[in-house]
Amino acid sequence: MADLKGLIEAVARALADQPEAVNVRESERRGATVYELQVASGDLGRVIGRQGRTAAALRTLLSSAAEDDDKRVSLDIRDQTGRS
Amino acid sequence: MATADITEFVQKVVDAMDLDLEASAEEMPDGVRINLNGEDGNVLIRRQGEALAALQHIVAAIYRHEAAEGRRLVVDCMGYRKGKDDELKQMALFLAGKAKDSGLAQEIGPLNPYERRIVHLAVAEVDKVTSESIGDAFEKTVIISVK
Repeated sequence: MADLKGLIEAVARALADQPEAVNVRESERRGATVYELQVASGDLGRVIGRQGRTAAALRTLLSSAAEDDDKRVSLDIRDQTGRS
Repeated sequence: MATADITEFVQKVVDAMDLDLEASAEEMPDGVRINLNGEDGNVLIRRQGEALAALQHIVAAIYRHEAAEGRRLVVDCMGYRKGKDDELKQMALFLAGKAKDSGLAQEIGPLNPYERRIVHLAVAEVDKVTSESIGDAFEKTVIISVK
C-alpha cells in the first residue's frame, strides 16, 4: 500500500523553506481520500508553483500511486490562515 | 548539493508510492541523471510518461539552485527519456537538413524547455542553419531556418 501522506510530506518539506510548518491531514469523503496539506504562508507559492504546475505534478504522482490501490484521492493545499 | 541527496529523495518518493524501483545516479558532463529501474517502471512511463514528467518537475523545483549553476537534473525510468531524447534529436537533425536543402524554415513543437534545449543543441551541430524558440508560453515552438 502506498504511503500517500508520507509522499505529500516528503515533497512539501523538500520544497518548503519552513519544513517544520508542513502538516498533512487525511480524511475520507464519499469514498475518496482527501489530503489537506498545510504550509507556511511564505511557502505556499513554492509548493503550488508557477501556474500551479508543482501542485499539478504532485497530484499526478498521487493519482498514479493511488490507481494501483484502486483508490480515489484529492489534495487541498492551504497556508496556516486557511488561504489557498 | 550532493547527488546522493537527490538520489535519496527520488528513492523516498518511489518508495512512498509503493513502487518496486531503484534509483541510481549517473554523472553526466553537464549534470546528473537519476535512473529508476525495476518491476514497476510502467507506472511512471504509462500515458506518455505522465508520472515521470511530474517527478521530474518536482525534483527540478526542489533542486532549482542546481539548475541555476548550470547543472542539468534528469530523472529517467527504464531509459524512457533517453529513448525519447534520442528520437527528438534525430527529428531535429532531419529538419535541420531539410531546412538547409530547401531553404524553407521548419517548425517543431510545441516543446517544453528541456526538449527545446535538445533541439537547439542538435541544430547547432549542423552548419548553415540556426534555431529559435518562439511564443511566450511555457511550451514554445522552435523554428529551424537557414542563417
